[in-house]
Amino acid sequence: MRKTMKRALCAVVAMAMVFGMGACGEKKMPVIGISQYGEHGSLDNCREGFLQGLADAGLVEGTDFTVDYQNAGFDDNICTQIGQNFSAKNVDLMCGIATNAATACFAAAEDKDIPVIFTAITDPVKAKLDSGNITGTSDKLPVEAQLDLIRKMQPEADTIGIIYTTSEPNSVSAIEEYQAKAGNYGFTVEAVGVTAQSEVTQAADMLISKGVDCFSNLTDNNVVGVLSSVLEKTNEAEIPVYGSEVEQVTLGCVAAAGIDYFELGRQTGAMAAKVLKGEAKASEIPYETIAEYGIYINSAAIAEMGMTVPADIAEKAIESQE
Amino acid sequence: MLDLIISTVTQGFIYALLSYGIYITYKILDFPDLTVDGSFPLGAAVTAVLLVKGVNPYLTLPLAMAVGALAGLVTGVIHVCFGVRDLLAGIITMTALFSINLQIAGSNLAVGRDVDTIFTAEPVATVFGNFTLLQRKLIVAFLLVVIFKILLDLYFKTKNGLLLRAVGDNDVLVTSLAKDKGKVKILGLVIANALVALCGCVVCHEQRSFSATMGTGQMVFGLATVIIGTTIFKKEGFVKGTTAVVVGSVIYKVCIQIAISLGLPANLLKLVTAVLFLVILVVGNRQKGGHKEACLR
Repeated sequence: MRKTMKRALCAVVAMAMVFGMGACGEKKMPVIGISQYGEHGSLDNCREGFLQGLADAGLVEGTDFTVDYQNAGFDDNICTQIGQNFSAKNVDLMCGIATNAATACFAAAEDKDIPVIFTAITDPVKAKLDSGNITGTSDKLPVEAQLDLIRKMQPEADTIGIIYTTSEPNSVSAIEEYQAKAGNYGFTVEAVGVTAQSEVTQAADMLISKGVDCFSNLTDNNVVGVLSSVLEKTNEAEIPVYGSEVEQVTLGCVAAAGIDYFELGRQTGAMAAKVLKGEAKASEIPYETIAEYGIYINSAAIAEMGMTVPADIAEKAIESQE
Repeated sequence: MLDLIISTVTQGFIYALLSYGIYITYKILDFPDLTVDGSFPLGAAVTAVLLVKGVNPYLTLPLAMAVGALAGLVTGVIHVCFGVRDLLAGIITMTALFSINLQIAGSNLAVGRDVDTIFTAEPVATVFGNFTLLQRKLIVAFLLVVIFKILLDLYFKTKNGLLLRAVGDNDVLVTSLAKDKGKVKILGLVIANALVALCGCVVCHEQRSFSATMGTGQMVFGLATVIIGTTIFKKEGFVKGTTAVVVGSVIYKVCIQIAISLGLPANLLKLVTAVLFLVILVVGNRQKGGHKEACLR
């Protein structure tokens, strides 16, 4: 028993030392705690954009603020603990990238008045992140712009195939919007729901066998995660795939009307800078949706499909090949 | 610093409720119950819906336990009555629950700050009014852990509880006593999953949200806490299993928090946690001295 006590004591001392190290040196410089839900191209761009946004506002990392960056590896429990870690250290501002990370940060900040800035959240109202000392940017997809783009690229097309994860709220709400608006552009939507990443390629096979005219992607984490293998199948079947943001076009989608996550992050960084400088409180700034959508094309992928780009699209499109 | 210790220990206490459940299925019944990955978010889903509808927050605790118990019952019936293997029975229920949870909650569901939780509603708000929310969370979590520890310890001493323990150790004995071991197993699963759903319920109160993915990996977490707890107290015969798993749960959360506090590269977080567990387990086994010899032989 005495041995056990000794060990327990050792553990407590070790913990105190570790936490103590983390605690020292604070209060000199504002600390921004960034909690990112997982390692993911779009989310990484968001974070880099966020830091760029701060830099644009004249805040220099290392002299004006320091960053405590944590990544939860898509684990909700770790998200919770990261938020609490930030809260306990009394960081000056928390940045939550993607819904689960932002929710955890906001929950951890409940009894302290730490401002939370979120980004890459489709529906902040539904996520109850629209009131309190919190603000940020939404990455709601420009569905109509995408439908318009597909109509112009493929005047003859009838059906759009979409694969989505049934448990991702972002995807579910995007599918609803697609189904509501596709008719206006003369399309029908063939949506296939999956529950796990391993089912995505099967779903792609199914859509191909159903003879859809094209695929359109959402910002669905499961689908984007295995996009390369989906593209392999669609290229073989000569079905064009439209992405939802620049990363996907670079990977081999023909085109996208979508968000540049770096820009989204930059917009978020500008908001954070205001809060950090004391110009406005997070509770006073309404959340923003990105105003401008970019049209991105991949000429190599388009040529492979034997398609041509209409002149009015070619004008404003941004070439996004690797 | 103190805040960090408080919130980390609070997490340990909250998740100890889940560890109790795994302790019953894994350690006592010797039943690898994967239902947990589904019944944990089930508790949270039901709680989130009820809270949004304005139900008294304390009422969500027994209600979440009831639905969790139902999930355990389903796994038990599939295993005992239809003869499906234990692991598979759990997988079937867990898979079904994934869809059911989404049906219950719509998709991910957030509970706004205007809604009272078990940490902010009366009578807790008045009784512990002098404490900060952080401290109140610790107190409530601690009370829940102690209440259920006492209840479980008392239950294990009853005739029924002894039968439960006997099924895991020596089920032939149970049969020879003219008792139905299947029924006992089902009962164990019901109790365990009620506790797991209760844990999901409290997590939902604490995080003010339900997410469909929150159950992923809870079974593994629970197993780790049970093993850590029971390994540490292997020699200390008087320390009850229920106490041991609470300690295991707190240690687990502390390990993660240390890894986060060290500012380790994100991708290494899980590796570091695994190493910390390994150290605890090896130290625990050293104390017993058995395994090292087995390895050398």
